[in-house]
Amino acid sequence: MQIQVKCSCGEENCPEWAIVELQGTVEAQPPFQDRLQNLEIGVLCRPSSQESYIFTVGYHELTGSKVPLKKPLLVMKKVKHIDADQSSELNSSRVELEVVGIIRHRILFKTRPKALISRLQPLGKERVSVQNPVLLNK
Amino acid sequence: MEGGAESVLGLQPYSSISIGYHSSFGHHDDLFLLELDQTLLPDVLHQRVTLRGQLNEDAVLCTESNTYAVKFVGTSNTVFLIPPTDQFGQNANNSDSKISAPKVVASVIKVAPGNMELVEVSPRLDKLKFLLSENPLRCDNLFEVEDFEGSESNGKIGLYKWSDLVERVQASDAELFAGLKALSAVEINGYWRVVDEKYMDEVLNVLLQNSVLNDWSLNSLNEDAVIGVLETDGFPRPLAEHCLQVYGSKVDEETGLSSVWKLDEKRVCLHFAKGILRGGKKKKLESFMDDWNRKIPDGMIARFDMLEGEVLTERIGVEKWVYAFSVSSLPYNPAERFQMLFHERPKWEWNDLQPYIKDLRVPGLSSEGLLLKYTRRSQPTAEAEPIFSSK
Repeated sequence: MQIQVKCSCGEENCPEWAIVELQGTVEAQPPFQDRLQNLEIGVLCRPSSQESYIFTVGYHELTGSKVPLKKPLLVMKKVKHIDADQSSELNSSRVELEVVGIIRHRILFKTRPKALISRLQPLGKERVSVQNPVLLNK
Repeated sequence: MEGGAESVLGLQPYSSISIGYHSSFGHHDDLFLLELDQTLLPDVLHQRVTLRGQLNEDAVLCTESNTYAVKFVGTSNTVFLIPPTDQFGQNANNSDSKISAPKVVASVIKVAPGNMELVEVSPRLDKLKFLLSENPLRCDNLFEVEDFEGSESNGKIGLYKWSDLVERVQASDAELFAGLKALSAVEINGYWRVVDEKYMDEVLNVLLQNSVLNDWSLNSLNEDAVIGVLETDGFPRPLAEHCLQVYGSKVDEETGLSSVWKLDEKRVCLHFAKGILRGGKKKKLESFMDDWNRKIPDGMIARFDMLEGEVLTERIGVEKWVYAFSVSSLPYNPAERFQMLFHERPKWEWNDLQPYIKDLRVPGLSSEGLLLKYTRRSQPTAEAEPIFSSK
């Protein structure tokens, strides 16, 4: 079987995608877990003219920087074509791979997150109510 | 306000942007990331790359001349993938947001679990050998191919066109072609065939007999004349041409005139040596050399070093015996190759071993590396020859 790798963009026009990468996971609070679409994750700031960034997720603040990737990443899409074949009863399906984007940089956060609230009350006693539906979990 | 990758990558100093989940955020299993060496980028972006393999095999990615295994590398990080604006249709964001001030939101379409990466590998040519040996060309199945013309390729057993081989063998075009050449395969009626040894023997013998009859010099054979007599004797033209290519080399090519060929002494002598030992025969060295010298064409001289990588000698009592053991019968896969070599003989000296591994190519591994990886080396004394055995 042979699968053609297609690219309709050519070298100069490949759309550039972005990656924001952090350690740990980001979780939505229970009411929001099934409805992530359109939810805000956090705010990305660039506080100076350097390539350093701050990402605030829930009550955590992460610091990181924009780094070029050592090797580019291509964003690939698997496309299934169903060919209606008039001469046979079977419809043959053909898979193609298409290059839909390229990634050359990522904004990487790998430092320990800084908690923006000074103290978390233990469960059962006074609980800090957090407005953000999305929290950082390290 | 809409923002995509470009808003993130182009984020200006002293500004900020909200990152949120795209209205179409989800698994998007049809999207994946592929890490590529910068040098391979032009090949991919100019559509010169394909994925090859059968359903039960791990896919390989092939450029025109190289083969790469495709491996998944996971990450424990959270990798938010942000496409350029509009790449996923209208982002229905902020339509019912409580925030009154419009803000730029860059939207995450997917969280990538990792990426695919490429590792250069040797082409998987053992399969090619296997496929072509299903139906070697023999004089009695010569016309099978012509009978089947016009019917579907799938109906024929062991008959493969180039396009069939590309679908089944995990190798780049250039490597596949080199593999065919290494097997001395010939394309007849669009099908790639290996020729049965006895059939090649027939063709060569007719060529040699006619050379004697017509007083042709084996160092300057006229291409048209040779092909003419072979065709008259019933051999198909492509096979006649193939015979010249396998046993000779072109001397001269003048436009308009027929090419001149010279038979290669080593290749012709080797052919006869293999014929004597065919069928697993073991012969005493002396009697083998006598037979061999009698069979080769006049004017040619047989030398034992011509049999490197084709024949092994064994000491039985005081006698030396020889038998056929051809590197071409061994797998390309290094682990399997060494396994078969050590099965044949538990200990090898370097001079004997070298001809049986010099065709091995593993990207990233030198021949010393190969030995280190697959053999155990011992050297009884500093002056003694090193011995290689199985690990």
